[in-house]
Amino acid sequence: MNQQIVFVTGKGGVGKSTIAAAIAFKKANEGFKTLLVELGDQSFYREFFELPGVNYQARSLRKNLDVVLWSGPECLKEYAMHLLKIESLYRLFFENKVSRTLINVAPGLPELSVLGKITSGPRKHGPTEPYDFIIVDAYATGHFISLLRAPRGMAKAIQYGPMGEQSRSIDQTIVDPNICKFYYVTLPEELPMKETQELHETLKNEFKIEGQWILNRILETNLKAKDLEKSNLGQKTKINFETYLSSVLDRQEKVIQKLKDTSVSWQELPFLVETDPYKLVQTLSERLK
Amino acid sequence: MLQKNLFSDVKILVCVGSGGVGKTTLAAALGVMAAQQGLKVLVLTIDPSKRLAQTLGIEGTQEITEVPGQKFKGQLWASVINHQKVFDDFVRKAASSANKTGVSVSAERILKNKLYRQLSTSLSGSQEFTALEMLCSCHESGRFDLIILDTPPAKHAMDFLKAPQKLAALFNEGIAQWFRTPQEGAGFFANLLHSGTRQVLKTLENLTGADFVRELADFFLNIEKWQNKLEQRILQVHEMLVHPQTQFCLVTSFDLAKLKEAESFAKEIRKNGYHLTSVLLNRVFPDWILPEAAETSEDPKKIEIYRLAQLLRFYYEHRLELYAQFERKLSGDVLVMKLPDYVEPVSDLDGLMLIGSQLEF
Repeated sequence: MNQQIVFVTGKGGVGKSTIAAAIAFKKANEGFKTLLVELGDQSFYREFFELPGVNYQARSLRKNLDVVLWSGPECLKEYAMHLLKIESLYRLFFENKVSRTLINVAPGLPELSVLGKITSGPRKHGPTEPYDFIIVDAYATGHFISLLRAPRGMAKAIQYGPMGEQSRSIDQTIVDPNICKFYYVTLPEELPMKETQELHETLKNEFKIEGQWILNRILETNLKAKDLEKSNLGQKTKINFETYLSSVLDRQEKVIQKLKDTSVSWQELPFLVETDPYKLVQTLSERLK
Repeated sequence: MLQKNLFSDVKILVCVGSGGVGKTTLAAALGVMAAQQGLKVLVLTIDPSKRLAQTLGIEGTQEITEVPGQKFKGQLWASVINHQKVFDDFVRKAASSANKTGVSVSAERILKNKLYRQLSTSLSGSQEFTALEMLCSCHESGRFDLIILDTPPAKHAMDFLKAPQKLAALFNEGIAQWFRTPQEGAGFFANLLHSGTRQVLKTLENLTGADFVRELADFFLNIEKWQNKLEQRILQVHEMLVHPQTQFCLVTSFDLAKLKEAESFAKEIRKNGYHLTSVLLNRVFPDWILPEAAETSEDPKKIEIYRLAQLLRFYYEHRLELYAQFERKLSGDVLVMKLPDYVEPVSDLDGLMLIGSQLEF
């Protein structure tokens, strides 16, 4: 099968990384060779899954599933090595203070290197990864938009030469719905919903990307807000549990109703109380559609 | 009494923490608290929710605005940081002070550079720099007793403080040097050095194309002119940040990952000479009263309410345990404040005052 890429983003604190891991678990459980990718230079999964380390070389997390941490400079290094082939030329280029600085700061270069690496399989360009699925625990919304804009911005600025060509090819790949899928993780709360709405519109208008929403931490119950009694609402502190529950359910019901009224594709995931990370992610993966 | 400690002898309060912990709202609430105590205070926010922006009177404006409808002993002012504007302004200012003649040419040239135009707001460190640049100029204006800064969302809280140095690297003289053709008679060593870098540039050109290298050269040669100005500014920013009257408030919330992050951040912040004086734990505990036990009840509704209450209580108790561990690890002189998990998001002035009154020390 052709390699598929899944990007997972969302506002900070909504459970984006946990959901990305759950999607990866699901694909791995279905028998696909899966790679879970973290971006940046610090790993969340190392702490979360209590691993001895997560870095540029893939490490096995469980059957069919590897985890990896990719940063801009490292991706660029590997790419340059792949193209240059000659060790001495590579050394001259990289083991040089000015050039190292340049790689870190040149506008757009780190973003492009990371996206280039992620899409190298479908584009058949550069060093590729032998996986059926690449699940990317991407940056939070704002940074994620900057990341996606980088290839297009670069392609506009640079018309000719390999940089222009690669930028265009990356841009075409990320907007191809047969190759890349996007998930926006959100919570039934005001701020995350607003941010997700803005993200959805930006990506739709600029890239024609239609991401799927994942409404996380839904309190599952057969109770309805209207069945519950509200008391002492004038006071904002020390309310009884039923009043609290009624507010939570009311907010939840409104958000779900709002989503039902749109053409957005979405699914719910439950609020779980589980302290074992593997069990938590496994349970969530079983609930994913 | 403790509330007073938070602002006494403080000129700048920087709220730091990773994304999604409620920094913006809390920065505004601290602003309200300070204004209630009689200070003239400015809250610089990054990306307030629509309703919070409306409350602060800063929706759709980039000006520093007096918050409407306030009846405080002091005064509350607010502003949103517009990164593109602050950055462009800085470029213009830096260019004009760098060169008294033909200045605007170089500022306009950089503003017209294709790479800058496409990518300036995503330059690494630029958002952090603009936040600090605005803080610095507001501080210098002397208009306020206290400025509270809300910081940009970052995956890791430390990124914020490292950013200006990272940006400074952009303006590094060495890089521009690299793209310059050597002048005739530059001497043997200069030429030797250049032949080395030429090879590197050639490699970069093979990888990326001549067009890219040309734009890059244009970019670096143009910004080189304000290297001095930028370095000066970064030094000023640093001095401002390590000054004893500049204090840091670390905002953090629920999950284990965020707490681990906060823990390492608290360490880093002190190691680097900044003054971390308070930690705000947001959404720590629910402020509701548990329902009576439902074991004896046969009403399915009551049983379900009780089940959910137990579920949530277990969840919060687990979190409280994590918080207790976190607090033990923070050493003595830090003020730890706790806030309950609100039912409705807070966005009006009354709500902000309520937060202040509910801070548990």
